[in-house]
Amino acid sequence: MNQAVQPTGETHRIESILARLLRIGSILSAALLGLGIGWMVFSHAAHGRGLILAGLIVLVLTPVMRVVVAALVFARERDWLYVAFCVLVLGALAAGVGLGVVG
Amino acid sequence: MILTSLAVFLVAISAGVMGSILGLGGGIILVPVLTLLFGIPMRTAVAASTVSIIATSTGAAVSFLQDRLSNVRVAMWLEMGTATGALTGALVAGYLNQRMLFILFGALLAYSGYSMLNARATERPRRVVPDRISRRLNLGGSYHDQALGQHVEYQVTRSVPGLILMYFSGAAAGLLGIGAGIFKVPAMDQVMGLPFKVSTATSNFMIGVTAASGAVVYFVRGDVDPLVTGPVVLGVLFGALAGARLMVRMKATTIRRLFIPLILYTAIVMIYKGVVRP
Repeated sequence: MNQAVQPTGETHRIESILARLLRIGSILSAALLGLGIGWMVFSHAAHGRGLILAGLIVLVLTPVMRVVVAALVFARERDWLYVAFCVLVLGALAAGVGLGVVG
Repeated sequence: MILTSLAVFLVAISAGVMGSILGLGGGIILVPVLTLLFGIPMRTAVAASTVSIIATSTGAAVSFLQDRLSNVRVAMWLEMGTATGALTGALVAGYLNQRMLFILFGALLAYSGYSMLNARATERPRRVVPDRISRRLNLGGSYHDQALGQHVEYQVTRSVPGLILMYFSGAAAGLLGIGAGIFKVPAMDQVMGLPFKVSTATSNFMIGVTAASGAVVYFVRGDVDPLVTGPVVLGVLFGALAGARLMVRMKATTIRRLFIPLILYTAIVMIYKGVVRP
């Protein structure tokens, strides 16, 4: 199922996909945070707080999405061992949230 | 109020630059600065620092992935250790002697700092022979080093000891709230034989994932204060974007020289916490 040596093209593709995902996540989060902070500084509106929270939530979800997308890319490449690694990591994260663990 | 926010923002930018270059979360610096200098409550500061780890990781990873410095396969393999370690560490935290743990992990860090000091002049690792798991999982890689102006190919060894160390690194974070990246970099550099820049970039790539579950919990508990966390995270994000661009052009020996004082400082802080107060 899992060959010893894989073409390097696969690794390069996953890196480009993940780089794009992380870029979108950080730009979106920075834009929301910047708008929210600007809004609060200049007009004290409650909207600012909401925008900041939205920016923080986008940021926190980005690494989780990164593991999900990595699992999908590995699945498309039929690299099942790495799919299993991603699923295990997601399971541990979900268990951590469920149990209220802050490590 | 606006001046304080500006000062917090500037501190956050430097934390982002430092964290992205060294592959660390930077909580060991950020939490004391926020609480002692700006009088921010501990819970709020720790929550802001945890979300900042994700900002450092995400902001810097864009550059690191483009330069192929972060090794995605090594990261996925080792994240199994950090994620399960953080989970079990936090679950058993109440049953273990925290002072002993601080001293134990502090001593471990002091030892890695000492080994790193001995290896400070090493720009590239000596020939590394991949182990069986490393070959099977295709962990080796290559990147273009902008500082050396050459293509660097590398192999990975001791994959299982590396995974076990990551488990304890995650457990330390879960048990003590310290050590997003400070244990990961020496484990990859000194045990698994990865080039130093790949070690810090891969550590950087990993720390965001483990911090994510903690951050969600802080959100649910209401510890995330948008007025504090917003400016801190925005600053760290900008800092990490800039720091990562600097890092790809830096020599491994330079980054190592920056890393050594911080690892020794962290070792002292941990041993102090164990000996003087929990």
